[in-house]
Parts: sequence; structure tokens; C-alpha cells
Amino acid sequence: MTKSLAAVPALLLVIVSLWEVVAARCDATGVPDDAAWDAAAALVRASAQPGDLIVFAPDWIDPVGRLHLGDKISVDMASRMDAARYARIWELSIRGARAPETAGLSPVLALDVEGVIVRRFERAPAIVISDVGSQLATATSDGARPTLELAEVGFAPHRCVQVTPVPGKPTRVTFHQLHLGTKLVGYAGLADVFTRRDIRAPGKLAVEIGGRTVASITPGIDDGWVHFEATTQPGDADVTFVASADAPQRQICFAAEARQ
Amino acid sequence: MTPKRIGIALAIATALLVVWNQRGVGIARDETVYFSAGDRYAAWWVNAATFRDHASIAQTFGGAMGSEANPEHPPLLKLASGLSHRWLPFASELTAYRMPSAILHGVCAWLVFAMTLELWGLAEAILAVLCLALLPRALFHAGLDCFDAPTMTLWFATVYAYWRCLDGRKWPWQVGVAWGLALATKHTALLLPFALGVHWIVIAWRTKKFDHWRVAVSLAVLGPLVLFVLWPWLWLDPIGHLRAWLAFHLHHVHYNFEYLGTNWNAPPFPWHVALVTTLFTVPTATLVAAAIGATRMRGKQHAAGLLLLLSAAASIGPFLLGSTPIFGAEKHWMPILPPLCIAAGVGAAWAARKAAAFVRGERIALVIVGGALVLASATEVVSAEPYALTWYSTLAGGAPGAADLGMNRQFWGVAARGVLPEIAKQPPGPVYTHDASPAWGWYERFGMLPKGHPDSGHEAAGIAASKLALVIHEKHFNRHDYMIWKAYGTVQPIFVLRAAGVPIVSLYKRP
Repeated sequence: MTKSLAAVPALLLVIVSLWEVVAARCDATGVPDDAAWDAAAALVRASAQPGDLIVFAPDWIDPVGRLHLGDKISVDMASRMDAARYARIWELSIRGARAPETAGLSPVLALDVEGVIVRRFERAPAIVISDVGSQLATATSDGARPTLELAEVGFAPHRCVQVTPVPGKPTRVTFHQLHLGTKLVGYAGLADVFTRRDIRAPGKLAVEIGGRTVASITPGIDDGWVHFEATTQPGDADVTFVASADAPQRQICFAAEARQ
Repeated sequence: MTPKRIGIALAIATALLVVWNQRGVGIARDETVYFSAGDRYAAWWVNAATFRDHASIAQTFGGAMGSEANPEHPPLLKLASGLSHRWLPFASELTAYRMPSAILHGVCAWLVFAMTLELWGLAEAILAVLCLALLPRALFHAGLDCFDAPTMTLWFATVYAYWRCLDGRKWPWQVGVAWGLALATKHTALLLPFALGVHWIVIAWRTKKFDHWRVAVSLAVLGPLVLFVLWPWLWLDPIGHLRAWLAFHLHHVHYNFEYLGTNWNAPPFPWHVALVTTLFTVPTATLVAAAIGATRMRGKQHAAGLLLLLSAAASIGPFLLGSTPIFGAEKHWMPILPPLCIAAGVGAAWAARKAAAFVRGERIALVIVGGALVLASATEVVSAEPYALTWYSTLAGGAPGAADLGMNRQFWGVAARGVLPEIAKQPPGPVYTHDASPAWGWYERFGMLPKGHPDSGHEAAGIAASKLALVIHEKHFNRHDYMIWKAYGTVQPIFVLRAAGVPIVSLYKRP
């Protein structure tokens, strides 16, 4: 028995080594190649309808997905506020990953195309009555003029209205007579990784409707794209976004949609 | 073949492996600074030595931190690189710049062999060197004109010299000179006295004698003296320039670095960054062998096992504090690798000998166990190169597994070299190169990129002026994708360079 145990370290080492030889080659060759992506993309192209959202998972494979299906993804779609307005979502995934946009949904189609899993989801979309980005031209500000940007917020792309308030002096951006539904849904965050690195303080965004604060968030440097939501009365109303910060260079970027 | 000749052969083979491997490795952003500085330093020394007119010390070695003369790093490796570029006409320019680092990696292999042979035996020494030579990340770093692999060599040279100098010799100058050379390569050598000091105190306490005071004197006198002699910038204002050098590194900016899915660019960093990164960047079989070997390293002359442990601890220890910059990852604590590989050699040989009875002899057992260990490392090397910064070991699931885990994809813009053939296929026009910008002119100069594809400039203005644009994928570089989408009106790249299926560079073309 003791003699047999003497061989255990060597055996362990040989087994681990051989496992590493096999596993290293499997790891290096296990990700679907361009032929697989071509086949998966062809399947999507055959059935996709204009306005379908196409997403990829895990997020690190996104460049490969866009290489094969990027012509079906507009810049606005890629920099969406969220996925709620999309009725049909195509998800192309590898390695068992799922895109956050499809969380909680059941696929109506699921096919394994040479290792790329193609799923299609269908659901009742959010009905968007208005969104602040498209109304920015008629909005007023008591500070610096807000701009519509395609910004990096939380390392993701977002088309959003950007305001950089003077420290201690809130900037009020008002969208006059915005069409409202039953709720106002929005997101905000701090744009630009380098200013987030150099200045660690959060920003603040409050939403006022008819002079009453209906939502308030304080996105910090690591919070990414922060969700807010408020119940609204259907009809037209002035909606004011109040951006403030105690520190300079807080590039507060927000997007919001009035939904039915 | 005598053991000494085996060691020399392994050292030469290690250096040649580095030279061969670096041929496919792109130009690191930092290398471009060292190429230029090295040429200046070499010209200054050659002209000074031959009594020709030469630029002033301040012009050649000085200036503000971050300036072209690169005064934030000591000069030894840059000088060697410049001399190599000047005197090695048979190598390509890029290889010539990188040759000193490759040779020093061979020296490291020799030192590991020598110490292991002296303390344990030939089989242990051979396996230790092979483990070292086949570390994918170390092989990559040794092929760059940068300081990290050379620092590992000179750090370990100091450890070895210190250990040898404990033999009671009257003039233990070797340890002081070795440490001086390490100091003249990179500031991290300043950590080494913590390891040597603790070891020195332990052996003094054990023997109840202070026999080795000359070793301490050698370190204290010759180390700084060698640094001073090799760094003319110190001749002008020794204290002031030393202070500026150290202050620069004590207050170094924190670059962005992804670790376990989070982009880190400010302390406090997780205490386990260095440990997890090491687990994921050393071949798993080597780690297992080292773990076995670590239990077999006690009882050697002058507490050699303890010395190796302390050396590794001094190198990696600061990165457990949570405040030391982590952006360079494993390259910043590379001096842990020689002790780790020695432990692996010792562990594998010991395991093989214990199992010899089952395979009819010690030699066969050593071949089986050692062969399996080396094969595992060689497989990882093949998977890793030339994009070894994207590579992670099988323990992480390789590059794809590490991408799933959110480990750092790469840095220094090295992978841009992989898209140069695609760019060459495109009509001439400016290219937005962002992180590869410093290397762009060098790619042209070295003939890797045809004329007609100049760098278009920085940020939005550079993108606006470009016909092609590349994005080197790191989490904090996502913003370059978005700027390009906005300017080009498309999210679709025309080419995506991948390592083991993981995207490392995207190339866009203006529609």
C-alpha cells in the first residue's frame, strides 16, 4: 500500500499534464469559426424582419457577431437605451452564454448552427410615445447646452443626452409639453472612462414633472447605465431633468422614453 | 555531455527560442520609446568612449519624466538594446533591438540550471530550465525590448550571487555588482534587499554568527555604485534625480486593467489579483509540479529553499497590498518565476524517482513524468503565441475561458501587427490606430506595413481623417468602437483578428 502511494505524485503530475495538453488544444479551437458564423448569419438573414434586434452573447464575441451581421444592426440599435421597444430579438450565442436582453424570455426558435446557438424571441414591445433624445432640439437649458451623444457609459454604447453641470450649480434641461403615457422610463450614467478614473465622485439626476420630483438617481463611477422609472399621467407636460454634481467633469448622460 | 555543457546548451536554446518566437510579436507601445532612447544612449557612450563629439548628458538621458530620453527608467537594457541595434547588422532591426532581452533570458536559464544543479541534481536542473523556457508569458516578455524579463534575470542573478557569496569568500563583489545591474534595469530591484535582508538575518540567527557582513557591504556599496556608473543622468544630480525617479514610480498613474470582469483603474485593488493572475498564466502542470517541489526544498545549504521563497515573496508581495499598480499584471512580478520553475523541476524529479519502481527504472520515470510536464508547457506555448497577452492557461479555460471570466485581454497594442496584412490589401489612406499609434511609423520603417497607410491622428479628429480604423480590444477601449460607429455610420468591421477565437483587433473601413 505504501509503495503504491509513492507513485501518486507522479501519476497526478502525468494526468494533469495530459489533461492540459488535451484541454489547451480544445480551448484554443473550441470557439466557432467564421464558417459557423456565416451559417448562423444566413439563418438570421433568411427570417429577420426590419426592426428586429440582434444581440450576441457572451459580450466579448460581439465584434465577431457584428462582422457577420453588422449590416443588420444600425448605430441607433447598437446604442439603444434598452431592448423593451423591440418585439423580436435574435440572439446568437456561444459557450452557453445568454444576452441580458433576453433574460426571462422563452425562445420561439432555437437552433444549434455549428456551435452558434441561434434563438428568436417574440414579445409584446413597449409602446414608446416620445423620447427625450429626439426632442432635444426644442428643449431648454439654464446652463450649458446639452448635446446628443453616442457615449460610452459603463463600457457600453448609449445614445444619450449629455450634460456637464458646474459643481454646485445644477443644470435644468426642460422638455416642453412632452407627450407622456403611463410611465417614464429612463437611464443615466457617467460617460467617459478616463474622467471616471480621474474624478471619483458621482453625479446626480432628478426628474421633475409639473414641478414635482418623480425620480432621482445618483450614478457613481462604477454603476454603469442606471435605470429609473416614474408613473405618469397620460397627456402633455413639461419634463425637467436636473443634472448636478459636486465635482467637475461629471458627464451625466441620460436617455428616457415615455411609454404607453 | 557534461552537466555544464547541458546547461549551456539549454541556455542557448532558450535564447534562440525567444529570438524565434518574437518574430511574430507586434511592437509594444513602450518598446518604441526604448528603441529611440537606446539609440541615443548607445551613440552617447560610443562617442564618449572614442572621444568624439557627443550630446550632453542632459540632452541624452534627462528631461522631464515621460520625455523622449525616458529618464523614468534606468538605462542598462536600453543601452544594450541600442548597442545591439548598432552592432548586429545580421539581424533585422527589430530583432536586433530585442536581442539583449533574449540573451538575458538565456542567462536566466543558465542561472536556474546552475543553482538547481548545485542544490538538487541534473534532472531537476534540466526540468527547471525547460519549465522556465516554456512559460508562455515569460517567453513573450523576453522577446520584447522591455525591462520585465531582463529584470527577472538580474534579480535572480543577484539571488544566486548572494547565495554563492555566503561561502565565506573575502571579496563577495559579485552580489553587489549583480544587484547594481538589476537596479540599472528597473526600479523593482529595490525590493530585493527585503528578501536578502530577511534571509541574512535568519541564517545569522541560526548560526549565532555574523559571518557574512561582507555580503551586506557589497550590496550596500557596489549596488548603488554600479547604478551610478551606468546612469550618467545621476552624475549631474545624484540625489535629486534618484528622488525624481523613485517619486515617479511611487505616484505612477493607474492604467485601466480588467480583472474578473471589472475595469480597475484606481486602488484599492483586490488583494488576490497577483495570485489569481499567476495561477492563470503559468501552465497548470508546472504549478502542480511546483506545489509538489515546494515540499522538498528544505534542508539545503544556507537555507536556499527559504531564500527562493523570500525572493518570490518580495517580488509578488507588494501586489497583495491593493495599492500597487496592477496594470502590468504578471510582468511586474516575473522574478517569482525562477523559484517557481526550480520548485517544479524539483517536484517533478522527486515524483518521478518515487515512482521509479513501477516503470523499471529512474530514467524511464523521469522521461515519462518530465516529458509529460514539458509537453503540457509546450502545448500552452503553441496556443499562446504570438498573442500571449490574450492567452491564459487551461486552468482559466484558455483565452476563451479567460474572456468569459473577464480577464484582461491585452495591453500595449501589440496585436495590431496581426491586422497589417489586411490593411495592406486596402487602398491607401490614413488609418486610425489609437493604441498602436506609437508603433505605426516603426511598422512602416521595418517593412511590415506598405507606404500609404499613415496614422491619421488621435481621437475624434483622427477618426474623421481616416479611411480605415482599428480597435484593439480592451474593455476601456470600447469607446473607440463607438467613436468609429458614429463617424463611419456603421457598426460592422471588415475584419476581426482573433486569438483562440477571442477578438483582439477589429478593423473598420469607411463606407
